[in-house]
Amino acid sequence: MDRTAYFNDMMARLEELFYHELSDCACWKTEFIGIDFIQSKDIQGSTPTEIIENCIREITTAGLAKEISYSIGGQDILLYVKVNGCIHVAKETTLRQRGIKIYNCPIINMILDQIIEKLNFETTYVAGIEVDESKSECLLKCAIFESPKKIGNVCDWTDQCRLIDENDQWTTVKC
Amino acid sequence: MQDILDVLISRKSIRRYKPDPVPDEMIDKILEAARWAPTGENYQPWRFIVITDSETKNKIGELAKVGSGSRMTAWYCMGEMQKRFEKIKDPDKRARVLEFMYSGKVSEFAKHAPVVIAVIGDLQVGSVDVPYDLSAATENMLLEAHSLGLGACWVHGPVATSRDAIKFKKILGIPTGMNEYKVICYVAVGFPAEERKHPRPKLPMEDLVYWEKFGNKERP
Repeated sequence: MDRTAYFNDMMARLEELFYHELSDCACWKTEFIGIDFIQSKDIQGSTPTEIIENCIREITTAGLAKEISYSIGGQDILLYVKVNGCIHVAKETTLRQRGIKIYNCPIINMILDQIIEKLNFETTYVAGIEVDESKSECLLKCAIFESPKKIGNVCDWTDQCRLIDENDQWTTVKC
Repeated sequence: MQDILDVLISRKSIRRYKPDPVPDEMIDKILEAARWAPTGENYQPWRFIVITDSETKNKIGELAKVGSGSRMTAWYCMGEMQKRFEKIKDPDKRARVLEFMYSGKVSEFAKHAPVVIAVIGDLQVGSVDVPYDLSAATENMLLEAHSLGLGACWVHGPVATSRDAIKFKKILGIPTGMNEYKVICYVAVGFPAEERKHPRPKLPMEDLVYWEKFGNKERP
């Protein structure tokens, strides 16, 4: 029995039902999904980079994803993350096939949780999740706010992400 | 029985208030209106916390500002806010409105409301769709406030995310267990300091109503 497929099917059903109840608000209610795993690890770090990289090491070591890359830009508010070979990608594919916008990534929930818990960041927000099944890869655009003063600092993330891709400003952490 | 359609149609969300305190009798009437909302199995899961303390209101307003501001900053950076407000043709006005939104200032008005009423549901007593019961109670509060000449606004933003809902509960001393109380919203109340512009654009009835079966627009 493929246990991963079984649990992903269950998660897809739950997220489908949850979306049906809450529509686009569903994504606001799922930020704790996945955090139990990362909170069971002793993630250390005093900067976003250290926290992110130490989270990625734990996630990839546990086999939850094969490889995770990240880049921080947009006045230190944009956290751009690429997750390859995620254990949950089948869930995302199933949801998309059912016409539901992908809204919950346990992997990014883990990283954002630790940024808040360990660095005392004010808040975070997952603004976009895109899945490329052919590469088994998710691209995530998140906002991380160190303090309330950071709120309202806007720029064009399409441009920022293009620059990150063109200049290969990705940092890849392997276990 | 009186037709209350005029009360319903003339209501508008009010976010700017005069500093005048709201008399206790008016607060009591608003709470009484909430108490008479429809509720499944008559469970009455709603509980209300009436807040007039400035420090507490400031904390709530700040939480709302950060919640809305963080989301709208991200939406602006993604280009979504610009699309949402492209109907504002004057570029200067559009920029001002957008800044008001993504800074979070749009949601901090609880700081200046004379009264804020938190609407929470006891998940242990009300086992039949608590959010629906509480939403009905909230609408009753808005209508009663309006009929008394007050202005009010239903605010969900600061309790929208799971993490913010916990912060909100901690501000008011509400137990934070996920099996205990659900915060639906708060209602900011005061005498209006802004004009009620009516009518706000509403979708035409024929776009909203079907007859007998989904999709059938022909009235039999």
